[in-house]
Amino acid sequence: MTGYLLRVESIHKNLGGKEILKGASLNMHRGDTKVIIGPSGAGKSTLLRCVNLLMRPDSGRIFLDDEEITGKHVNLSHVRSEIGFVFQHFNLFMHLTALDNVKLGLVKVKKLSGQEAESNAARALRDVGIQDTLFRNYPAQLSGGQQQRVAIARAIAMEPKIILLDEPTSALDPELIGEVLRVMEQLAQSRTTMLAVTHEIGFAKNVADEIVFMDDGVVLETGTPADLLANPKHERTQRFLGKISELYGVKRTGA
Amino acid sequence: MNLQFESILPYLLTGFYYTTLLTVGGLALGFAIGASLAFAETYLPRPASTVASGVEQVLRGIPLIVVFFLVYFGLPYAGIMLSPTVAAALGLGLRSGGYQSQIFRGALESIGVGQVEAALSIGMSKSSAYREVLLPQAIRLSIPAWSNEFTVVLKDTSMAYAIGVAELLKQAANIVALTLQPLEIYAIVAAIYFIATLVVSRTMNTAYEKWKIPGLGGGAR
Repeated sequence: MTGYLLRVESIHKNLGGKEILKGASLNMHRGDTKVIIGPSGAGKSTLLRCVNLLMRPDSGRIFLDDEEITGKHVNLSHVRSEIGFVFQHFNLFMHLTALDNVKLGLVKVKKLSGQEAESNAARALRDVGIQDTLFRNYPAQLSGGQQQRVAIARAIAMEPKIILLDEPTSALDPELIGEVLRVMEQLAQSRTTMLAVTHEIGFAKNVADEIVFMDDGVVLETGTPADLLANPKHERTQRFLGKISELYGVKRTGA
Repeated sequence: MNLQFESILPYLLTGFYYTTLLTVGGLALGFAIGASLAFAETYLPRPASTVASGVEQVLRGIPLIVVFFLVYFGLPYAGIMLSPTVAAALGLGLRSGGYQSQIFRGALESIGVGQVEAALSIGMSKSSAYREVLLPQAIRLSIPAWSNEFTVVLKDTSMAYAIGVAELLKQAANIVALTLQPLEIYAIVAAIYFIATLVVSRTMNTAYEKWKIPGLGGGAR
């Protein structure tokens, strides 16, 4: 027993002949919220996709609850059902209502009865602030913020051990970002284990237990928001944070 | 003009029966071929997908009447004897398979991998993701183009005339040989094809409207 819920050990991943991950490692305690920041191309999304095995790492090992999930004979479906994933572009099932989007996994994967699945799905939707009147709406009839919240409900309804969020607000109009961040904040407060890639420094600063800075395929430094944002050790971290504060300076001071 | 309607009606009905049979047979076989090819082209790895697109090209590149002649007159020399009706249904199915695979491939590609990934991410198996997420949407998206293919197959059953199937046109030609009234008879036959086509496209359009995904316009992301 190591006490960690998630251990990522030296993951390497090549994509299209290019080495994207060059030995990325990180650990997470149960109930932690961790935010990964870093320039584009650093391998942040690739790392998340490796963690829930949407991509197989070329080498390195990943442990969930001290069980290796990168082994040869691992049950992919079972592992993925224990790791929620929220996508940048929501990826809702366009032919299903909000309620059925959340229900599908409960029925097909968790094998719940229709009625139980329905009440669990409804609860998850209410948890993310989707009103009952929207349950029968199709994704294309919802705003981007509502779609992303339905996607979060779809992930949490499965009661995963950890939720991975891959730039969950990057595809949203600015006025819709807040509603999604608030839901993520609630999740953090209820001690849902979350690993999020995001450029929302305000969220990282206020909500994260730890911030992870990734660059060029490795985790360069890790620290509490106060430490890492105020006293970044690496020059590359400093440069990145400098650029971010230029862009989002107002937000940071306001946050 | 003294067309004896009662006397020609049984011939036309028989003809229409064979036309329907060929349409349904050709479409069903085409669906099986087209869906398999589209799946292979979109989701299978290299050698299989290349073979599938090659097959699709060949099927779309041969005139229907040549396919009929190959199947009906050619295959017996390879030891395969088929009745004219079966040969015609097979020929229609082969060609339609080529076109239907294009329709399904377009639909599958327009749905994109994101939704399948989302299904996998909640622990659904690949086959379950295809069945629950991809197929229901692909079928809906295919309806307009498939409706067009339906009418094409319906009209092209008339080419089975050339290998002696007793379909609508063949029956009409037989009647003309007796009555010597080509203008009237062929006009009636043309009207029957036209009405059948109209009914098909109206029905398919109704189905499309009914099953359309609310909030989505013409296509899906």
